[in-house]
Amino acid sequence: MKKCALFVLTAGICSVVHAQVPQHIDVAGFASGKPGSQMIDSVVVPVPSEIFSVLDKQGKPAWSEVLRPVKDVAVTGSKEQISLVLGTVIAEGFVAVEAQNPEEVKNIGRAVLKLSQAIGVQKAVVRRSNAIIEAADKSNWSSVRHELDGALADVKNAMNEMRNQDLAQLVSLGGWLRGTQALTAVVEAHYSADGAELLHQPALLDYFKRRLDAMPAKTKSVGLVKRIREGLNEISPIMGSDTAEVSEKTVKQVDSVATELIKVINQKQNSNE
Amino acid sequence: MKYFLSIFLTLAMALVAPARATIDDALSFALEAADPYVKEGFTVREDYWGGDLPVKQAKAIVHQLFKGNEYWFWMGTDTANAKISVHIYDADGNLAEDESFQKPHKAAAHIRPKKTGTYYLIVEIEKSPEERTYWSLAYGFR
Repeated sequence: MKKCALFVLTAGICSVVHAQVPQHIDVAGFASGKPGSQMIDSVVVPVPSEIFSVLDKQGKPAWSEVLRPVKDVAVTGSKEQISLVLGTVIAEGFVAVEAQNPEEVKNIGRAVLKLSQAIGVQKAVVRRSNAIIEAADKSNWSSVRHELDGALADVKNAMNEMRNQDLAQLVSLGGWLRGTQALTAVVEAHYSADGAELLHQPALLDYFKRRLDAMPAKTKSVGLVKRIREGLNEISPIMGSDTAEVSEKTVKQVDSVATELIKVINQKQNSNE
Repeated sequence: MKYFLSIFLTLAMALVAPARATIDDALSFALEAADPYVKEGFTVREDYWGGDLPVKQAKAIVHQLFKGNEYWFWMGTDTANAKISVHIYDADGNLAEDESFQKPHKAAAHIRPKKTGTYYLIVEIEKSPEERTYWSLAYGFR
């Protein structure tokens, strides 16, 4: 009897707590900044492994076919380009982890350091870079993932401290583009509606577009940045919709844009034309 | 001139440092809340949000979630006797979380997204002895 009463009491308390949480909110109110509500104008960009873990649950992607060797990484060009390349290289690290390729992870660890050096943030990354190489030697993949995520955060924090928020955004953007390209490669190889649904990323697209639009005219005039803005506008109607199903044709379209942008990012001497 | 500049910088650092320290303290409570879930296989991201809020002012954080993953969001504050909350809503503004809890210094919400897309995390200081309360939010996925 006592147990029964306790159960009823506990259930009662739980339901009261649940009932206190509003079941619906006015999302638009937050966006417009009505009194008592605010929207944070920053988005945490997911690491590629957040998406890859879903793909792993859906099947066994051939990650080694998605992996792109990083041995000849470009350390030339503008700071904008190097920042974008750095983002793509860190993202490649997550692909290399999925492919369980220790040699490639080690190459990536070294490339991260080299690129960070070129834009003056190597101090923040040395420890991470060494940790990536060390963990790859031991095939400790969860540790490599953790250090790659940490390297991304450390680079961005160092850039923010140097008042280079724009470059920090470009690192995130480069990583997101490479992650998206890897996603489309996997989904294209074995199309499924569930896999393709991962391309619904309206918040991220909107965020990157707003950040690029807010950059100084000088940065926006860099040919590479201009092309990326155009590319985001091309894929925005496809990835930016929360409702439409992502077809096989759409996956191909996104892949084609992402692949082209990654190619442009990695072109040597891609400077301020 | 150099002397005045160094005094100015010291004062500026003294003003900024406590805020940073308090957000970091708040983060340590959030990560403490995350600890049991790490043992269950959740990967905690190195990125986090933080700031300070007055009582009853909600803040929305836009977040991209992927169907097929599950997520925990852990919020922390270093203010004793503060009551904080975090809840998850979908793009239409409907409560989408599977469960949530509030404990001293901590709050958390858990979701298995029914679809991939935009979600809103609503953080709030429900009660606090301070005029503005520092908070921090971390998340993990598996």
